[in-house]
Amino acid sequence: MPTITFAQSSGATTEITVAEGTSLMRAAVTNSVDGIVGECGGQAMCATCHVYVRPEFTDQLLELSDDEDEMLDCTTAERTDSSRLGCQIKMSPALMNIVVDVPADQV
Amino acid sequence: MSTPNAPTGVCPFSGATGPAETDPPAEPVAVPPTSTSPGTFAEAPVADWVTIPDLYNDPFPLYQRMRAESPVHWVPAVNRYMVTSYAACHEIEQDEARFSADENNSLMKRAMGHSMLRKDNPKHQVDRDSYGSTLRPGTIKKHWNQIFASNHAKSLDALIAKGPGADFVWDYAAPYTAENLRLICGFHNATQEDLQRWSQSMIDGTGNYADDPEVWAKSAAASAEVDAAIDEMLPYLAANPDHSLLSGLASLPIPLEAIRANLKMTIGGGLNEPRDVLATTVWALLNHPEQLAAVKSDPKLHAVAFEESVRWVAPIGMYPRETTADVVLEGVHLPKGSRLGVVLGAANRDPRIFEDPESFNIFRPKKPHLGFGGGVHFCAGTWIARAQVAQIAMPALFERIPDLRLDPSSQSIDAGWVFRGLTKMPVTWG
Repeated sequence: MPTITFAQSSGATTEITVAEGTSLMRAAVTNSVDGIVGECGGQAMCATCHVYVRPEFTDQLLELSDDEDEMLDCTTAERTDSSRLGCQIKMSPALMNIVVDVPADQV
Repeated sequence: MSTPNAPTGVCPFSGATGPAETDPPAEPVAVPPTSTSPGTFAEAPVADWVTIPDLYNDPFPLYQRMRAESPVHWVPAVNRYMVTSYAACHEIEQDEARFSADENNSLMKRAMGHSMLRKDNPKHQVDRDSYGSTLRPGTIKKHWNQIFASNHAKSLDALIAKGPGADFVWDYAAPYTAENLRLICGFHNATQEDLQRWSQSMIDGTGNYADDPEVWAKSAAASAEVDAAIDEMLPYLAANPDHSLLSGLASLPIPLEAIRANLKMTIGGGLNEPRDVLATTVWALLNHPEQLAAVKSDPKLHAVAFEESVRWVAPIGMYPRETTADVVLEGVHLPKGSRLGVVLGAANRDPRIFEDPESFNIFRPKKPHLGFGGGVHFCAGTWIARAQVAQIAMPALFERIPDLRLDPSSQSIDAGWVFRGLTKMPVTWG
């Protein structure tokens, strides 16, 4: 099953194994990962599950939708080239061991 | 991923482009468990000391006592379990399997029809998706912000023309937000006064726990007026599309019954909430001169003040859920079919989450509040409210009337617990 590693700015990491199809946001919220809020339950409406995806995994992600793109403009922490919404990342074999950095601010 | 993911624009909301330099970083919310230990639970205590008049006048002292005693109480006066802790409210929001929005004997369904707000997924998602991009940040930035600015200039002119002693709520905030809502919905055949009357009449029906026949009659009359207005607008908007909700719906194979119910829910939720948060935020700032001065000197703080206001006095203070099975919520047993009141107005002042929670303080460490709800029913109008209040109204208001203050000769009044806001707010200047 796919494993997600959440890296905090403090250096602490949390590794979570989830079923395929689970969103990265849901995995974080269900397991109380610090810094991932997921206010809107996965509708790309709140920008509180912002993560920075490590470069080696970005090619495996689905393209950015218009909805996700506009919402990433509204993140509290700075948007960068590696910014994505966790709710739009669905776990698949291609993302077997994805590593993401959790922003310092989410609200 | 082949699409470059560099920043492509700025958020349409100045306060949300990034934290102000003085903002402390958000701290992770640690939700302390209130359960005793796995497998053990308690029955909900009975709060027979809670009365509807007390809730209406000032619910916060009651919430303090309830939260300290138990996260959940059975409250005979409202015939529901009231859930008052942050942790319990948050758990409900994140779990629609155990806590259904599709309440039996719902007053809202009777007043407005069966809207997305009272549906669980997948039915809820079908209705929600039918609203398309109308309420999203991109459309707000491209389309609504300039319309809100134009509407705001007219409302502010009207307030200034009325002169010192005018009522901030009824002479300014209500007409402004009602006119915005009229255009967002696409009611080109109605006035902002119609929107105000429809909203209040149907909301009164939604809260008609006393089963007053006169309230039901007014609610039904407003509902029929909305139906007629929708019937008239749909063919027009199909031929003359614009950015409104009804225009989007006119081109979709959505049952008329769902369109009607969802628009009525939107009329209710889209008017009182921005109106009340605008008045509450300004009222709080006028009562805290040092915070007002900070907001005036740093435009990004308008958005911070808005969020703190929604935390401090959630415009929707309570919404219902119903348990689908026997559950243990934060250590309290709830039988299947229990009717719950998820009291956001209490959760947002939970001292286990927010330090000094009864105070309005825009400088408090940022933490997620529950004022817009959470999970799949997270308020679809959140960004519209942020735009029309924090982005457009507040900066223009304080620029045009820099010496705005509460009228010392006439007391402001706030009221309500299911919905809470200022019902009277005389202001003066000059």
